[in-house]
Amino acid sequence: MRIVIIGITLIAVLAIAVFILLTAGGGEGEVRLVGSGSTFIYPQLQAWIQAFTQANSNILIEYTPTGSGAGQAQMLVDKTVDFAGSDPPLTRDQYEKYKGQVVQIPVILGAVAVVYNIPGVNELRLNGEVLALIYLGEIEYWDDPRITELNPGVNLPHERIVAIHRSDSSGTTHVFTLFLSKASNGAWPQDLVGKSIEWRVDATGRGVGAKGNQGVAQAVQATEFSLGYVEYSYALGAGLKMAYIENAAGEFLQPTPESIQAAARAALPAMPDSPAGDWSGVLDAVVYAEGEGVYPITSFSFLIFWTEYPQDKAEAVKKFVNFILNEGDNYIVEGYVVVPDEVKEINRKAVELIRTG
Amino acid sequence: MAQKRPAEARSDKLFYYALIPFASTAFLIILLTLFVLTAKGLPALEFYGLKVLTSTRWLPNEFDPEKAVYGLLPAIAGTLVTAIIAVVIALPLSLSLTVLVEELAPSRVRDILSSLVDVMAGMPTIVYGVWGIGFLAPILAPIYSGLQSTLGSLPLFSCEPTGGFSILTAGLLLAIMIIPFIFAVVKEAYRAIPATYREAALSLGMTRYEYTRLLMGMIKPAIIAGVLLGFGRAASETVAVALVVGNAFNLPLCIIGPGITVSSLIANQFGEANLYPLMQNVLYLGGLVLLVLGLASNFLGILMLTRVRVRV
Repeated sequence: MRIVIIGITLIAVLAIAVFILLTAGGGEGEVRLVGSGSTFIYPQLQAWIQAFTQANSNILIEYTPTGSGAGQAQMLVDKTVDFAGSDPPLTRDQYEKYKGQVVQIPVILGAVAVVYNIPGVNELRLNGEVLALIYLGEIEYWDDPRITELNPGVNLPHERIVAIHRSDSSGTTHVFTLFLSKASNGAWPQDLVGKSIEWRVDATGRGVGAKGNQGVAQAVQATEFSLGYVEYSYALGAGLKMAYIENAAGEFLQPTPESIQAAARAALPAMPDSPAGDWSGVLDAVVYAEGEGVYPITSFSFLIFWTEYPQDKAEAVKKFVNFILNEGDNYIVEGYVVVPDEVKEINRKAVELIRTG
Repeated sequence: MAQKRPAEARSDKLFYYALIPFASTAFLIILLTLFVLTAKGLPALEFYGLKVLTSTRWLPNEFDPEKAVYGLLPAIAGTLVTAIIAVVIALPLSLSLTVLVEELAPSRVRDILSSLVDVMAGMPTIVYGVWGIGFLAPILAPIYSGLQSTLGSLPLFSCEPTGGFSILTAGLLLAIMIIPFIFAVVKEAYRAIPATYREAALSLGMTRYEYTRLLMGMIKPAIIAGVLLGFGRAASETVAVALVVGNAFNLPLCIIGPGITVSSLIANQFGEANLYPLMQNVLYLGGLVLLVLGLASNFLGILMLTRVRVRV
């Protein structure tokens, strides 16, 4: 019995000792930056962090993909992290509140690919209106005249369309539904634009929700005659067939690095001239942007930093931002698209805006 | 015991005192969970009233809670229906497995089978989920089409199946997942039946079937306990269900169509729920419903188990 008591006491003492050691913090001169937010940006950011910390071993950067909304809240409200990754920029209200205190840097471009699984069909053209009617449950079959009209010469089967959508709240859904509302001549109602919406196609029994880009990609792969939307990188990774989507100029395009960058250039007039400016209008400008060669379902992903940090952190943040802007292009993960040079010029001003406070 | 061996009484007591903090931590955590879920869930109930439990729509609004509609009914009903399907399928399978393992199989096969089932219980649920999405759902899709064309006049099979993602698929997957739990409970009770009863039954000249029925009747409370524990397990499963249930916000009236469960709703929506006023509270309320459901079925199950221990 004694041995048991001694054993338990020993274990308790050891546990406390380990706990103290773990929470006591790292070594001398080491700077630790903690970030959280967007899941979309995570693989790319991870590649940058890895390359950066290899060259700067005294800086430790940790990023947790919790979702854009959670990342913003953890940085701005709870102040538990040093920076946030976010697909949507701060809204106008948020911007007014944190004006001068934060910089938002659009570091990477993403696009939403419309993917499908119709055996035997390898080229499919769709537009915003048809997509809206499918996700509203009004177009039921693949050989609906409104679809065949866009696809002359393609033999579409008389099969029901299974419309797969995100079941979790997601920036991807926001970008996709924003595109639907802008490109469908009013077919897609304004109140169905958002990260988490009511899917009317569900009520017809032809709608299926799946969690995450991965989940949607898997569901499309597993379901014949289905249609879904995923981030471009996931569509590439899963080897899914991507539809050609009609842009504002009437061209049908697939997402490619060129067509995605063209969308970013088309949105330049809506951008502020500095990362400290108001970026809230930029998503609206880049989705279904006017212009030739533009992929219409494109979006930015931002890193959000404070303008003031304690001295050691300020230096580390500046170094990291510099690294992304100047050397980041060498470490691009497949499926991610770098921002065009015009946007990089704006981003470079961020380094001067971050200071010791 | 303490009176018989006074030399050890002190250290014995010390030992038990030393355990108190550890034992009570577990209990406190449950209490704390209940408290947090209630405290966070109540604001949703106050704002939306009972509608939050009875509405069948899910219409989030990022800016104005007045305009949002949150109804948990399809999710609660989905949880109940998937768990009931799971139990209905898993029960006969677990009972036959018990008889096979305990009565018919040679002892080596019996050991292998027993440890295989234990492995099933310990498998990460995501493994079941991935298997469900990649294998089970696709092979069930044509079967569902068949069901719909032959039994389509019944409301349960009236809807057009969507590629195998459905309430029934989730129920089937859950059934496979809870078999080890029901099996473990039933097997233990079955083994505990004294040999004298078995010998008496056989010496009366009972057939195998009569014999099995008699023994199963003796452990009925254990079977009910297994069912309740399995039900609680099925109702709380998250990852695997979220992958195959289809996550469509529909009442589970047609079981070959997609639906949703409370745990999959929470898993899906919680990440960004803080962006929507009161949505988090609604999800906490859903969590509270789950917890109460789980506590009730576990409590009843354990009650049944103590009854079988008294009896045998």
